Amino acid sequence: MEAAAQGFLLVVDPLNIALIFAGAVVGILVGALPGLSSPMAVALLLPITIALPPVPAISMLSSLYVSGTYAGSITAILINAPGAPPAAATAIDGYPMAKRGEAGRALGIATFASVVGGIFSLFVFLVATPLLAEIALKFGPQEYFALAVFALSMLASISGKSRLRNLISGAIGVLIGTVGIHLTTGVERFTFGVPELSEGISFVPVLIGLFAIGELFAQSQAVEQVYERVTSMVVKLPSRADLRRVWPTVMRSSGIGTFIGILPAEGSTIAAIIGYNEARRWSKNKEEFGTGCPEGIAGPEAANNAATGGAMVPTLALGIPGSGTTAVILAALIMHGLRPGPHLMKETPEFVFAIFGAMLIANFMFLGIGLLGAKVFSRITLVPKNLLWPMVFVFALIGSYAFSSSVFDVWIMLIAGLLGFVMMRHGFGPAPMVMGLILGKLVEESFSQSMIIYDNQWWRFFESPIVNLFFAFTVIGLFAPTIGRALKRFRTASA
Amino acid sequence: MADQANGPDSNGAMGGRRTTLVIHRTDFVICLIILAAALVLFYATTQFEAVADVLSQNIGPGLFPQILLVVIIALSLALPFEHLFLERGASRLDQDRSEPIRPLTLITMGLLIATVALMPLLGTVLTMAAVCIGLPTLWGERRLRVIIPFALLFPAGVTIVFSVILKVHFEPGLLGLLAD
Repeated sequence: MEAAAQGFLLVVDPLNIALIFAGAVVGILVGALPGLSSPMAVALLLPITIALPPVPAISMLSSLYVSGTYAGSITAILINAPGAPPAAATAIDGYPMAKRGEAGRALGIATFASVVGGIFSLFVFLVATPLLAEIALKFGPQEYFALAVFALSMLASISGKSRLRNLISGAIGVLIGTVGIHLTTGVERFTFGVPELSEGISFVPVLIGLFAIGELFAQSQAVEQVYERVTSMVVKLPSRADLRRVWPTVMRSSGIGTFIGILPAEGSTIAAIIGYNEARRWSKNKEEFGTGCPEGIAGPEAANNAATGGAMVPTLALGIPGSGTTAVILAALIMHGLRPGPHLMKETPEFVFAIFGAMLIANFMFLGIGLLGAKVFSRITLVPKNLLWPMVFVFALIGSYAFSSSVFDVWIMLIAGLLGFVMMRHGFGPAPMVMGLILGKLVEESFSQSMIIYDNQWWRFFESPIVNLFFAFTVIGLFAPTIGRALKRFRTASA
Repeated sequence: MADQANGPDSNGAMGGRRTTLVIHRTDFVICLIILAAALVLFYATTQFEAVADVLSQNIGPGLFPQILLVVIIALSLALPFEHLFLERGASRLDQDRSEPIRPLTLITMGLLIATVALMPLLGTVLTMAAVCIGLPTLWGERRLRVIIPFALLFPAGVTIVFSVILKVHFEPGLLGLLAD
């Protein structure tokens, strides 16, 4: 209780409130812009936050995360171009509703559902984080290794088109994490005589390169693209009839989104898709879906914002990122000298409560900003690409340089950007690679410690029931979709 | 091999010809590139400095990267056949790469590489200004009344935030020489 009070005192500090507000505004701007994503914005802001104390820094990034996830709905509804991938499902019904002159209603439903989803998940976060941390405190290196392997296997379904490519991308990320001096033996690995590589490859330039520069090159493929906007009306809060209609969907999607968010690596995009599908499945008006159905907006929006609170649970309690953006937030925690995982909850519980408070305030802030300013924020899409992306590059340049005042890091950022662009073209998502990079150290350390404990007898991993459980989850996670599809084909063929 | 000529259609056919064969050509090439890189890196792991068993506790510095490389190799070997197991086949995979990389993208890459290469000489502020002039111009902005204020004001704002407020060291470059 004392920790909770301390946490709330930390979060209501005027500097903190100002930074949460700044994070919310930047998040909405970024979320509303197609092409700019919240992982990218968090990565670009990361170097700025290094100069701040940990609580304001993480509060600002968390605020940006929740607001950015919400704001994708603005452009999804007004221009049929989701500002962020989690809002893709919102466009299916949001844009048709806007086109028939009900843009304000659509934005109101989206804002309401997002806030309810976000707040619901934060209360789950508040209860689940200490519980999960308590369980994780009992984990030894072998259980942590199994958990990290499970998290890596979950990368398969994180996003993109191909589970196989996501896994390869994640494994390459883990491999990049091995560059530099091996901590146990002091041997240099993959440095190829480059002295700057002996300390390893820093997270920041790689994150910025993969998320921001890769997208910049992708945008250069369609510089002349202009979005057609629906004229935005004043945003309206949902009417009583709308509320009655969408309420069950909002609650169901909030639960779904929170659960999906808690699963390692699964983020808002998957939550939104499942939220939409479930909204349709449970609806009495299935035929209205795709034509501007209120449940079609509320379902994905509640789910994608609920996933933000859910995703913070494994990030803070286990040190395993719950989504692409929380992977970057995890990197920020590490850079601020914090130990994400069960020890964070044990040693600095007030910090976890402060993050909860910051995200809660951010939800109310984007409710206000969204209701009052959606019309203004939708105009951000009028900023020409040929000015917007040079700004992104300048931020990327300075962001990657600022951390250690090294041009070498700028080269790393650029190389990561080129790699990210090529990979995206061929279906390898950047998010799995980032998560692999961040999880890499945990995987290697826990593997090495386990092997030492087990005297190099790897089969002894299976002595632990928790390890077996995580390995079973891994196998199920990897093969269930394939088996499910095969069964479906078999049933179709036999019918 | 599966044909990979132009672009996919809804049936997974490439450039009008159906992807009837087992191996996807582009993914086969990607597989070969990953395999080559992985083999080179695997060889590099065998060249890591030898460490006494007492120090490494039988977990040498090369063991973990080697396991990872084996995993990457194993997964990559499945790449050319992956389209066979996807619901929409090759068309799903080829959606983003069906269009060739445009010259503008290649020039953008070249411009950014050149800018970063010149950064130690130009210094941080001039590099930002160069990006703010070069990139918009390259991407079709022709209005000087837009480009000039943008190239002056935006780098100035970034300099104030990072250099003045956050105390990040900016390379002086040419501006430093001029000041001397």
